[in-house]
Amino acid sequence: MKGQRWKWLLVAWMSLSLIFIFPLYLHAVENSECLDCHGDPEMVKELPNGKTISLYVNPKKFEASVHGQNGIACTDCHSDIEELNYEKEVPHPVPVASVDCTDCHDEEGTAYEESVHAKARAKGIKDAPTCATCHQYHYTPYLAAYTVREKEDLFCLKCHNPMLSHKWLTQKDTHFAHVDCSLCHAKTKGMTNLRLYNPLTMKFIPGGEIVKAFGTSYEGFLGVLDANKNRQLENEELNAITDKLNRKGFNAAFYGEMVAESAPEVHKISKDAIRKCNTCHSPQSPYLRSVNLILTKSNGKVSSYKVEKAALSSFTTSKFYLLNATKVKWVDIIGFILILGGVCFAGGHFFIRIITIPIRRKREG
Amino acid sequence: MKRIYIHPVPVRIWHWIHAIGIVLLVITGFQIRFAQHIHLMDLSTATTVHNWIGIIVIIDFALWFLFYTFTGKIRVYFPSMEEMIKGTIRQAIFYGYKIFKGAPRPYPVTAENKFNPLQKLAYLAIMFILVPIQLLTGLLLWKVEELKNIVDFLGGIKTIDTVHVLLFFFFVAFIIAHIYLGTLGHTPLSDYKAMITGWEEEPEEHQ
Repeated sequence: MKGQRWKWLLVAWMSLSLIFIFPLYLHAVENSECLDCHGDPEMVKELPNGKTISLYVNPKKFEASVHGQNGIACTDCHSDIEELNYEKEVPHPVPVASVDCTDCHDEEGTAYEESVHAKARAKGIKDAPTCATCHQYHYTPYLAAYTVREKEDLFCLKCHNPMLSHKWLTQKDTHFAHVDCSLCHAKTKGMTNLRLYNPLTMKFIPGGEIVKAFGTSYEGFLGVLDANKNRQLENEELNAITDKLNRKGFNAAFYGEMVAESAPEVHKISKDAIRKCNTCHSPQSPYLRSVNLILTKSNGKVSSYKVEKAALSSFTTSKFYLLNATKVKWVDIIGFILILGGVCFAGGHFFIRIITIPIRRKREG
Repeated sequence: MKRIYIHPVPVRIWHWIHAIGIVLLVITGFQIRFAQHIHLMDLSTATTVHNWIGIIVIIDFALWFLFYTFTGKIRVYFPSMEEMIKGTIRQAIFYGYKIFKGAPRPYPVTAENKFNPLQKLAYLAIMFILVPIQLLTGLLLWKVEELKNIVDFLGGIKTIDTVHVLLFFFFVAFIIAHIYLGTLGHTPLSDYKAMITGWEEEPEEHQ
């Protein structure tokens, strides 16, 4: 009986704990409470120099951001705000402590510390970028759907004009349009991504429209196209995609980019970049080991489907050509035959000319 | 032996600039196309040199075209109907058979008509169709991102590149034949001398 009583006491104690402790969590500051004030576009802070800075956070834009989508609360980052005291004019500590992104993103932080950006900051260069310079404070976007150019606009081009450097590099525009800066400057793992675009309007075709045209979903897309069921798309299967889209009134073609893998190392930006052309311009390029077709979603995420590397060496992907690495093989075979023809013609004619010398000598008498 | 002035100074200057240009384009072209097998220079240098030589050849081509058009000499490139059919056959039979017997040339060089029908047909195709296509595709590949709309309209970079590379191989084959056929003049070196001095030597009996 005594043992039973102890059990009941334990249950009672746990229940009471839940009743009293759980509300403390429930009472954590809700995003809606923050947005009561910070959701007002007029909300500004006056600085000692008379200038004002906006303290407005657009609720919809935050909701669409990586953090919003993952249910991150304002106070998860602004962790010095533990409770709101409405008796004060400003119900939280002022100024709030700066947010330390590495609390969650520690690997990214470590990589950043080894970057040229962190070194510049250590030297006292105030404009050297921190996390938010590139990723924004409250509206951190999903980057998967971004094109190389869009990423550059958001990141590197804010401070750098790559045309002023890279003097050694030919075809600057082409490289800057189709290769992630970080692929060379962070020497990360990379891949080649194909996406569908309309070459006449230069607009990318949203993934939603593509899967709709195939009467399927992102999950079902591969199943519809992968005729031989090997879980990757071959040349003929890619051809089938553009054929069907074009029959449905799209003017679809494949647009290629070489992108860095989304990994912490991407933050280890260095001046000492890859300079060897053959790193990419070779059929053995490490960036061709992974080739994918990506369908972009409106929330910035993508659906990615594995593509056979050989599909890049065909005219199915005629709008993408990585010099040397993805050349069409038969072109060189025809070239060899042409040159051999020239050599055989000249050599053969010369040979006959030599052996017929006696005939001409005789004629000249 | 009769000497005929067939290549005026501008033509000779044009020809040799073109010749040096084409040789350099071929060397750098091979380097660009077969970078993993040929290691004369790095890909970036090869591309830069190839692009700049390409510009020189384009200007040189424009000068050739303007000179030949404004002097009216451009007529030498256009075969008559008779030349086009019978003439090319006659010339082909000469190159393929009669030349070995030491027969006289069916179309000896004159000051007004320096090309035989086969040369006319070949040069007509090369100078008026193939070289312009090569220069145009070269320009598109040089500014491929800036001219993306045109490149995509014409089938995309890989298509343009394929046309450029196939013509490249054709030109390499042509140059081999061209250099060899240059030795089929009155003497093995007479056509080469003419391309340097302007004067072609022709045996008296053909005039």
